[in-house]
Amino acid sequence: MSNPVVYYVSLLSVYGAVYAMACAGLSLEFGITGVINFGYIIFQAAGAYTAAVLTLGPSSPSDFQHYVGGAHWPFPLPLIAAAVVGAVLSAGVALLGIRRLRSDYLAIVLLVASLIATTVATNATTLVGGDAGLALVPHPLVSLFGNNAEGVGYNLAYAAGAAVLAAACFVVVHRITESPYGRRLRALRENEFAAAAQGISAFRLHLVVVTAGGAMAGLSGGVLVQYISAWAPSGWLYPETFVFFTALIVGGVANNWGAILGAILVPLGIGEGVRYLPQIGSATLMVALQWIVIGLLPLIIFWFRPQGIIPERRRRFVGARVDAPVSPDSLLEEAELVDPSRMEV
Amino acid sequence: MNASTIVAAIGFGVVTASILSLGSVGFTLQYGMSNVFNLAFAGVMGGAEYVALAINHAGLNIWPSMALAALFGGAASAALNKFVYMPFIRRGVKTFGMVIITLSVWTIIQYVILAIVGATASSYQLPSKHLYVVGPIRINGIQIILIVIAVVALALLEVFLRRTLWGKAIRGAATNAPLARASGINVSRIMDATWFISGLFAGIAGVALAMNVASFTYTTSGNFLVVLVAAAILGGVGRPSGAMFGALIVGIATEVSAAIFNPAYKDVTAFVLLALVLVAKPAGLFPEAVQRKEVVL
Repeated sequence: MSNPVVYYVSLLSVYGAVYAMACAGLSLEFGITGVINFGYIIFQAAGAYTAAVLTLGPSSPSDFQHYVGGAHWPFPLPLIAAAVVGAVLSAGVALLGIRRLRSDYLAIVLLVASLIATTVATNATTLVGGDAGLALVPHPLVSLFGNNAEGVGYNLAYAAGAAVLAAACFVVVHRITESPYGRRLRALRENEFAAAAQGISAFRLHLVVVTAGGAMAGLSGGVLVQYISAWAPSGWLYPETFVFFTALIVGGVANNWGAILGAILVPLGIGEGVRYLPQIGSATLMVALQWIVIGLLPLIIFWFRPQGIIPERRRRFVGARVDAPVSPDSLLEEAELVDPSRMEV
Repeated sequence: MNASTIVAAIGFGVVTASILSLGSVGFTLQYGMSNVFNLAFAGVMGGAEYVALAINHAGLNIWPSMALAALFGGAASAALNKFVYMPFIRRGVKTFGMVIITLSVWTIIQYVILAIVGATASSYQLPSKHLYVVGPIRINGIQIILIVIAVVALALLEVFLRRTLWGKAIRGAATNAPLARASGINVSRIMDATWFISGLFAGIAGVALAMNVASFTYTTSGNFLVVLVAAAILGGVGRPSGAMFGALIVGIATEVSAAIFNPAYKDVTAFVLLALVLVAKPAGLFPEAVQRKEVVL
């Protein structure tokens, strides 16, 4: 294989692995447990900034970019720190928000928080590089490959490493999902009050799940930034969270295999697929078309296959009533939506 | 930081608050009626901004352009509910799914606008603005008209909702749709009317917002949605008069904080206010209207 092909394949693999990690975490939070985390991208961004800053070294005033907390930590500490920061931030949000806010308000608050976080990161130029973001983030372990980050060996090794981490996230989520603990999480999702009546602490489970999901988001950000070596606010605007949710809805909510499939189909398939379309207009037009397609996807899925491509497997218990396949809507207790046509007198 | 800067900021805040109140009242009207947390409201605002731009650049004065854009907003909003949201609701999509759908529609509208007009900033051809200086407050003629428009529109809405038969039907259907239906109210028509009216407000708010900034892009209305939702939730979602007070508080607070701290963090103030209010009073500042009707996203 020639160099550009290897580079492209490994780039795709790293992106795929990063999306898979993030979607695994979100699948645990939203698909299994029913927490609507519309600010999920914040935790990926936090992980990315952490990993970047901890490898860039101290920021000096003469530098072209300014940030706080620079250090030269050796691999794998920056990645671990990225996961820890994602987890701690998420736990903070859970402690502040989940106990006090109803799930609907929490969703809106997190969405707004996501908009605000980009505002702050853009305008606070000395916090994490401002609008231009951080660049020239060193690649980890590149010395083992003759300091050649463009080389075939390094790129393939990085892709393999990212894939291993994604697989690890998947196994963790899947083990949780399939365990009795996962059953409690699903009980919580289906009916919080009934679950509470059975002695399940909603708050404690939400805290654990959101922290674990945040760790995976943070890790995914760290893995991404150390490969592409740059990170800026324009890369984590609020619609990126929407891309993750779209991925879950397309792949199949509450099915971890569906999350992985969605991660490959939506961000990778559409994001990269658009590159191969004939260039029918300006670059702006192509970006717009890409987002329009991503916006149309949930509408199409909700209309034709609300349970997603790989639906949640219904667990059967002896003597229990088995309901219809789960759709994303049954994840929450519902308010009646007003539908005049259903109100027959 | 002297007192006159604060007073000047309050002056700006009143202008912001009047634009904001138009938007948040429209937003909350839809939500009170349908329980759909319509994030695509910002999309309707954005669409109206560019309709007004096209009409304005075709040679018409900005005020008739605004009126036509408001009509466009009303029609777009009613059509969105009737032909997009209602079919999904009939198909069994529930509350969370509807949020994703409104978010999708918003994304689609925003990027359709980008595809049509591109990323460059636009601005209206405004009549020359006379600057009035009252003490530390500096306000131009256009801003005064915007405030008047907001006050008149909100007063008309309040009278409409309280005094007319249609207004009472809207309030009845919003509070208990099956009961309204049983009382002989055509809920389907009332719903169309409500979405049309809230779309009018979206249109006026969108154009007013675009007039009040030097230039606007396809993201202007989306960024405004943060402040708008903050104001609507602050007043207790689903309650128009609450939304007006929410808008006043958020509008003035953001402008005063912009004068004291960094103007770039205006939206952060709105968010912090929202977070504080939600943590302290999860149903908004005026919860009694919401208690009667369980509001779940």
